[in-house]
Amino acid sequence: MLKDQANQLEFPRDFLGISLADQPNKYYFIIRTQRIVLEADSSIQLIMEKLQSYKSKVALYFDGFQYQLGDFRLRVGKVVPTHSENVRGIVMEVEYLPISSMEKAQKVMEEFLEIWNEALAKRSLPGKFVNIDLNFGEFGLGDIYTPQHTAVRYALVMAHMIATVQAVRG
Amino acid sequence: MQTLHQSQLLQNPAEAANNQSESDAPPKQVAQAMERLNQAARVIADIRLGADRILEAMFVASQPRHTDMPLQLFLREDASMRQHLQDLRLIGKKLEESGVLTESLRSRSNSWGLHMPLVCPDGAVVAYAWKRQLAGQAGASAVDRTRLALKAFTDQKRRFFPHIDDGLKMEPSSKKHRASHLLLENGREEPVDYKTLPDIQSRLEKLVPSVKVSTYGRLNWLKRANSLPGSGSDDPTEASKPIFQSSSKLRSGLQTEVVDKIAVIELSFPSLFRAIVSLSPAGSVDPDAVAFFSPDEGGSYLHARGFSVYHVYKHITEHAATALQYFLGFGTGTALYSLLLWICSFESVFSKPCTYADSP
Repeated sequence: MLKDQANQLEFPRDFLGISLADQPNKYYFIIRTQRIVLEADSSIQLIMEKLQSYKSKVALYFDGFQYQLGDFRLRVGKVVPTHSENVRGIVMEVEYLPISSMEKAQKVMEEFLEIWNEALAKRSLPGKFVNIDLNFGEFGLGDIYTPQHTAVRYALVMAHMIATVQAVRG
Repeated sequence: MQTLHQSQLLQNPAEAANNQSESDAPPKQVAQAMERLNQAARVIADIRLGADRILEAMFVASQPRHTDMPLQLFLREDASMRQHLQDLRLIGKKLEESGVLTESLRSRSNSWGLHMPLVCPDGAVVAYAWKRQLAGQAGASAVDRTRLALKAFTDQKRRFFPHIDDGLKMEPSSKKHRASHLLLENGREEPVDYKTLPDIQSRLEKLVPSVKVSTYGRLNWLKRANSLPGSGSDDPTEASKPIFQSSSKLRSGLQTEVVDKIAVIELSFPSLFRAIVSLSPAGSVDPDAVAFFSPDEGGSYLHARGFSVYHVYKHITEHAATALQYFLGFGTGTALYSLLLWICSFESVFSKPCTYADSP
């Protein structure tokens, strides 16, 4: 999973580009400030390289394992910038597979997270999993979960990661 | 003596069978196979009797006696048992060659569409009768064969599921309390007279506004199941277009569906689940199977006897089977209506917390 930042003169100066492992043919563009998410074919990356009008500033990899617990699918991975070995953080994706409506699955997800946090509390690990709530409606996305929802979520996570990195540096 | 005589009888047909070539017509092969199966059954009965006799001889031998009668008994029974087992082996080989224990006859080209009798793992023999087929009569005999197959299946059903016809007294579970509650409440409003499918459907739609009830003939349901988006498709915008077209086609087709051909009822709660109930016979109000699926699932495995790929719907389907038996057990003809109401009580499956589980 990659994230790029790019510069451009008139319009928003940077955007985030995301590619997801289970959507190999797609590439997602996100401009958070304008609440825009766009799904494109993965060949757009080639076009952008040829255009040379965008440059990658930061790229992060989310790399880890996928687990299936009954009807839940878990992905846990570490966040690593491309040319470094430092782990910036850990990301966990939880998906309840049987239904696609976020509203209908909310209670089930909450219960899962309760159980998860309980299990973690017994292990006394440093750090805590934080779930950031997001208003998908602002991005024009509906109640039925799609890969675009995932892309927007990762954009938010990345923004947080970058912010913490800059805070540490600055 | 009896045993020797019988084994001689068996040897002759075995020899004769060896001389017959495979150019026998299929009906004759089927007849031979049936005969051999009967022979095998007789030999097995003889083996059972022989085993009893051996046990008897052992018992006699354990009593203190001074004759060698037990020894003679043993020798005699030993010889006859060996002969029986040998005969059984022979018959078994013949049956195997003729494709009864496997299904190899089907792969032979000139079988006239007939099937060898099948021996099921539990020992039951399923024999399909046939009629002589001439060109042009194939369709008629297919109908007959189907009728006979249905009879065979019904016999099997009666044999393995005897409680289905007698009615089953089961302990009601928590969810059934809810549904029977709902039934009682509605029973007080009007007399329950939901004997026809359209009545049941319209009543249900009034009681539970969020459910979508659709009815199909079997073939139409298969078409619809195959046209539903499978769990692999993630893009709702792409997937919605083909469904929209085909479902509108189906809808217009459904309006011409005659009530007495309806065999499948679909209860759909958008974004929650899809429940499929099958009616037997078509056009009646007698449910015989029910299954739950995810709203995102699609494919030919979506039917009242199928299972979802997700655990939650698998579990609900198992409960539903029990509930179906419970409702059928009343024998009042209200099983379908009760079942559909019970299914609708699952509307809150993801929202209401389970009240009967132990809290951690």
